[in-house]
Amino acid sequence: MSNIESQIFSSYQRNPDLYDEIYDSNGNIKDIYQKLFDIYGEHSIQDYINLNSKAKASFFNQGITFQVYGEDNVQEKIFPFDLFPRIIDQEEWDIIERGSIQRAKALNLFLWDIYHDKKILKDKVVPLELITSSANYLDQMNGVNPPGGIYNHISGTDIIKHKDGQYYVLEDNIRCPSGVSYVICNRTALKRALFGVFNHYQTHTVTDYAENLLEQLESVKPKGVDIPNCVVITPGMYNSAFYEHSYLAKTMGVELVEGRDLFVENDFVYMKTIKGPVKVDVIYRRIDDAFLDPLEFRPDSALGVPGLFAAYKKGNVTLANAPGTGVADDKAVYTYMPDIIKYYLNEDPILNNVHTYHCSRPDELKYVLENIPELVVKPVDEAGGYGISIGNRLTKEEIEEVKKQVKENPRKYVAQPIMSLSVHPTYIDDTESFEQRHVDLRTFTILGRDKEFVLKGGLTRVALKKGNLIVNSSQGGGSKDTWVLKNK
Amino acid sequence: MWKEYTVTYKSDNVYDNWVHDAYWQFLIIPVENETQKLLEFDFANSIHCINQYSINGFGFDTIKVHPKKKFKQISFEATFKVLKSNESTPNENNFAKIETSLNEINSLNFKIDFERYLRETSLTALPKQNKGIFKFESNTGIFENLLGLNHWSHSHLKYIAGVTNIASTLETILNQRSGVCQDFAHLFCAVCRHNQVPCRYVAGYLNHESGYLGNSQMHAWVEAFVPGSDG
Repeated sequence: MSNIESQIFSSYQRNPDLYDEIYDSNGNIKDIYQKLFDIYGEHSIQDYINLNSKAKASFFNQGITFQVYGEDNVQEKIFPFDLFPRIIDQEEWDIIERGSIQRAKALNLFLWDIYHDKKILKDKVVPLELITSSANYLDQMNGVNPPGGIYNHISGTDIIKHKDGQYYVLEDNIRCPSGVSYVICNRTALKRALFGVFNHYQTHTVTDYAENLLEQLESVKPKGVDIPNCVVITPGMYNSAFYEHSYLAKTMGVELVEGRDLFVENDFVYMKTIKGPVKVDVIYRRIDDAFLDPLEFRPDSALGVPGLFAAYKKGNVTLANAPGTGVADDKAVYTYMPDIIKYYLNEDPILNNVHTYHCSRPDELKYVLENIPELVVKPVDEAGGYGISIGNRLTKEEIEEVKKQVKENPRKYVAQPIMSLSVHPTYIDDTESFEQRHVDLRTFTILGRDKEFVLKGGLTRVALKKGNLIVNSSQGGGSKDTWVLKNK
Repeated sequence: MWKEYTVTYKSDNVYDNWVHDAYWQFLIIPVENETQKLLEFDFANSIHCINQYSINGFGFDTIKVHPKKKFKQISFEATFKVLKSNESTPNENNFAKIETSLNEINSLNFKIDFERYLRETSLTALPKQNKGIFKFESNTGIFENLLGLNHWSHSHLKYIAGVTNIASTLETILNQRSGVCQDFAHLFCAVCRHNQVPCRYVAGYLNHESGYLGNSQMHAWVEAFVPGSDG
């Protein structure tokens, strides 16, 4: 037993049925984690508690907080951060990176197709009903050519490691995926708390995200624009991800604006400044489609900019991500991803898909209704972990309720086998010790004109409640710094 | 034969308090196609705001007005001169044979290409219990079926002004069996789409020999696409 196991990990219990990322199948610490163990072993549990408190304070002081909608007493919370990092070696990362790019490119081609020729529908690879019944399909996007041909400029791909040791994609997020600021802030917090550990590992930086994002935004500037003026538009300070909006604007060196700061005149977008109107060419929007333009979508939206969509349609401004991308991150469309990748890229998927049952198909609906305890039932158009039912955690009454909901609107639901997310040692405040907790990984992929980039790190999210499989921050999840090694 | 029409649109808006910011988007410019040409138009407002000519999400021409000063009252006046062709009403001889038409509307490619005009919307959704309220005859041409639907809808609903509003659903309309032009149009659209015939709602002015019908609320009718025709 090593020094570390006698101290910080003295009460760490390994469940042999779970895939523990730091132990191999023989119960030995994996090589890439050994040095980290040795270093952490130099600290007592009290040291660790002190370091953890400092890291928390660092997050509060930097204002890195979020809010959870729907709670009676809405308060700013910090996104709980765990000081024990997750390590991914170069070989595994290579698969994740190539797989994330492959999916982002395929989704981009898919979006172009369904808003133009619709060949994939005519070739019966994806059913027409799946697209037209999607709440996120935007009729107004038909025939629109987004500058640079890019729809999903920023994609967030949620990936898990199953107990078979393979990576599986749980979902693609291509509306306004959030979380990237935590990746960068987690690295900063860990460096502040335990700088020495970085001397022993060659890790890729994560601080190059903002420069890559800006480069990408500039690459998709409208025609005829020489040096584009880019801005980030936010719904405002009450949005749960406002910190991230302001962080990205600040680190890119561009203005953070709200809808009321912009106006449209003769189909060009301008920003109000004390020196007069300044034309805006590229908008990284963190506002949902429905709120972008009250003249075109929800007339009661005070968050958007009247006339923005017409300016976009005329090619005078770029919106990143493009409106209408949500149709491709519908969880029912996800199930066709292997076919979509094959159809557009003529490649086999690099990352696995989790087998998914469509409740809209009568035979699959029957199977789902009969096997809910073995399945995860998800609404197709929700984000943030809302509306998910994990079969083996439900009471009889809850199972009946899920059945009722699914039967009432089968198109709204898909179901998947309950995947066993890998676990990672995570410091738990209540027990003042490390315990196994489930983790996933969100990668951030950027597509621009002739440009693709995956942030070498990603957001490892941890389900802090024991046994919980839902890692979203809104559901009580935390996060870890994620190291991608430069060599094996 | 072409005939010239002049359409005038007026609107007067009065507010209790000062209005500091407002946007209007007017979708009133007549479309141009093979049956009508826009000769000239004029659009003015009482506080002399500049017109911004743009498009909406579906590509139709719009006029946007965004006053830069506060106001309590604003009026708009639009005048359009339109040249309209006096084409004869289509008849069944203009269209493809029944079998050809049915094959076409039942093909996947047709459903994909015309999806926008086949999709059920909140105002063109037939209530569950009324899905089969008017069935198209399979041994009759689509155009004849449309004539039949037109005839049936006028016998099924009674025109009564003011009994519905712009948000009235077909459930309400079919329950009370009355409505105005927009309700007749919504019912016609709903049945067409339910029978896989693409169609769209049209707003405009209707020539009634001595002039045209409608005010700022305009008249409403339906355009349906019959396979084998030009439109």
